[in-house]
Amino acid sequence: MLIDARNVVKAFGAFKAVDDASVSVEEGDILGLIGPNGAGKSTFFNCLTGDLPVTSGTVSFAGADVTRLPPEARAALGLARTFQVPLTFESMSVLDNAMIGALLRHPQARDARAKAREVLERVGLGPLIDTPARSLGTPGRKRLEIARALASEPKALLLDEAMAGLTPTEVRDAIELVKRVHGGGITIVIVEHIMEVIVSLASRVVVFHQGREIARGTPREVTSDPAVIEAYLGRRKVRHA
Amino acid sequence: MSLILVQVIVSGLLLGAVYALFSSGLTLIWGMMNVVNFAHGDFVMLGMYSAVMVWTALGGGPFAAVPVAAMLIATLGVLSYFMLVRHIMKGPMLAQILGTFGLALFLRYAAFWYFGANFKTLPDTLVGGSFVFMGLRFEGSRVLAGAMGLGITLLLHFILTRTAIGSRMLAVSEDATAAQLMGIRPQRMQALAWGMAGAATGIAGALIANFFYTSPTVGETLAILAFVTVSFGGFGSVLGALVAGLIIGVVESLSAYLIGPVYKDVIVYILFVLVLWFRPQGLMGKT
Amino acid sequence: MNRFLIPGALLALALVYPLLVQSLPVYERLGALVLLGAIGASAWNIVGGYAGQVSVGHAVFFGFGAYSSVVVYTHLGWPPIAGAPLGMALSVLLAAVIGVPTLRLSGHYFSMATIAVGELVRVLSSTSEFLGGAQGLGGPAIPRTVFDLSFLSAMPFYYIFLVVLSLLLLLTWIIERGRMGFYLRAIKDSERAARSLGVSAGRYKLYAYMLSGAFAALAGSLYLCMFGFVDPDSGFGILISVKMVVMAALGGAGQLFGPLVGALILVPLEELSNSLLGGQGAGLTFVVYGAIIVIIARFLPSGLLSLLNRRKVNRVD
Repeated sequence: MLIDARNVVKAFGAFKAVDDASVSVEEGDILGLIGPNGAGKSTFFNCLTGDLPVTSGTVSFAGADVTRLPPEARAALGLARTFQVPLTFESMSVLDNAMIGALLRHPQARDARAKAREVLERVGLGPLIDTPARSLGTPGRKRLEIARALASEPKALLLDEAMAGLTPTEVRDAIELVKRVHGGGITIVIVEHIMEVIVSLASRVVVFHQGREIARGTPREVTSDPAVIEAYLGRRKVRHA
Repeated sequence: MSLILVQVIVSGLLLGAVYALFSSGLTLIWGMMNVVNFAHGDFVMLGMYSAVMVWTALGGGPFAAVPVAAMLIATLGVLSYFMLVRHIMKGPMLAQILGTFGLALFLRYAAFWYFGANFKTLPDTLVGGSFVFMGLRFEGSRVLAGAMGLGITLLLHFILTRTAIGSRMLAVSEDATAAQLMGIRPQRMQALAWGMAGAATGIAGALIANFFYTSPTVGETLAILAFVTVSFGGFGSVLGALVAGLIIGVVESLSAYLIGPVYKDVIVYILFVLVLWFRPQGLMGKT
Repeated sequence: MNRFLIPGALLALALVYPLLVQSLPVYERLGALVLLGAIGASAWNIVGGYAGQVSVGHAVFFGFGAYSSVVVYTHLGWPPIAGAPLGMALSVLLAAVIGVPTLRLSGHYFSMATIAVGELVRVLSSTSEFLGGAQGLGGPAIPRTVFDLSFLSAMPFYYIFLVVLSLLLLLTWIIERGRMGFYLRAIKDSERAARSLGVSAGRYKLYAYMLSGAFAALAGSLYLCMFGFVDPDSGFGILISVKMVVMAALGGAGQLFGPLVGALILVPLEELSNSLLGGQGAGLTFVVYGAIIVIIARFLPSGLLSLLNRRKVNRVD
């Protein structure tokens, strides 16, 4: 088990955004977390990365209990992430953005720069290496966040709505990218709204509703589950990108 | 409790209400557009000079000085917003410090040039001298300032939380673009906030002038107090500034009485750092 | 190497400056003051500019440096400059004590907390008899040895300050290009993103704060050596803190030469304003001084150096 979250509860005052969620991810897996808006999947995601401390429950990563560790310590163990709204380092170039990730395993700037270049080439940002990051549009930023995370040479990559705000063509490109990253031996956890993404990427899916897990299984099993249709598909039109 | 202790606490509360009043403008601006006005103390200073001028030129007391100061400093606030703040609020935080500190120097030395460096004081008979009530001794000027401080701070809080204009301002502070889509003009609301903040600050100055010396550099001392009060209470919260102001006022006068006047600031600053240690967003700030 | 051309030319100009103005002591003094201002603002720049943690309380360190220097003289009879390493060491400790609680605060709250700590220290210093209370303390009135650094002209100070500033900028340059420099800038842009990439933001901010504090203390010691006197306001006053921020921001915070550029503009303006303060139209020059700062903030919010590296940013997808 690469990631193992047990009985995670996250409460904000009296409101339990995540109520007793247990999710585990095996090495080499692609796990999808889905659910309607406000289902608690993003909160749960942030409990995995350490951005939010859990109220109770445990999180372990690569065999180590990381429940009390801050995000930077989890990153050092090999847990990388992207953000729903990209948090690009605005004052830096594309290359320097990727270098921040690369410096984690390569303390010398020269080595980190080489690593950053290599990753940027791999994700298709090679031609934009010297561009200021603030001039990138949403797809570029999302891609840069993936590159930055990959440059830290993670074991697992957690994607928080990596496709939100992309056009259908861009979504297809991004799916290809995620598949390639996964092909490189990295475990993926992906929070996503767009059904097409989950169906074409995830091997297993966990469905959240009102802070609780209501279903799990393959994408096919989950999308035909009546409880899921009631909670999620029934109320929202499926977005076929 | 001994009478003298009651006296100390009551003076502390009166002082605290004034702190709240001259901090409420700062917290309004800070909360609404995340701008710290480093010229805030100099706005208060100009409010004080307005009162001095109303008295020396027209012989008017606080009831003439308060509306004059309110109007003058409100105008100054709106002008500052349109000519400077509007352009720097989106930039780096340092540009705000640079711009508003430059404004502070500008105002401070303009006052220095025009009024001279000498301290000016208003006669304390202007607000009825002092009197004894229920065994406690009161100075009229401080009672007036405290009472008006309390009233105006509460009024400001009421406007912001209970009126249509207040919810519009809140909408702009939460998301200016969304507010614009709902037909609210963000710039107009922000200018209004600067006007309201200026008016409150001007009134505070006009009232303080009755019991505090007026000089071009007085703003520096007052600004630090206002910064502490606002961060103590939580930025953006007028009610927080009121509570913080009252706490600071009481703590100041108690520690001046019990430990010694030199240590009153020390105690207040230590208290402030402790509050931020346990509540980094201040007493009533949003996280 | 083009990269060294401009710094080299600047250094050469700085080296011969006293020769160019030798007949006018006023300009020697001015040159020394510009460099001293630049040392203070460059020290601030490490944590305020690069790491984006806007301290408005660096006078605490400046004052510690100045007082350390004067205290080793009044209480031990040492030359004031001997207090400089002491002041720097104490400031590193003090930075840890102040930094651990305050660096957790974000944005304006950090600035406000540093103001409060600065004022706290100022008030405490004015009540301390050891530090001379509100009257302050003076250094040696008559130089005993050359180590007392008491000179008739400002020229020796000019060169001492130039050496210190050059070393400080060299150190900053090395940091800027290494891992720490990258991490500090990342923290400034987005602390959350930096931490997600394994950056121990808290630790790096603290390192920057301690280093910054040490050099601000050195600026304070040098100030004491030149002026021979310090009191709570000239050591710990909020204006000292604000000036460091304003100089760095005016030139360009987070840039190697930003604080120097800021000092080159603000210090002469201030000296000029001060010299005219007694005469007719007293205060008017400071009004202009304020107006200039406002205008720069309004039109060049990222500082004067942003004029040089203003590249057109096109959107690319």
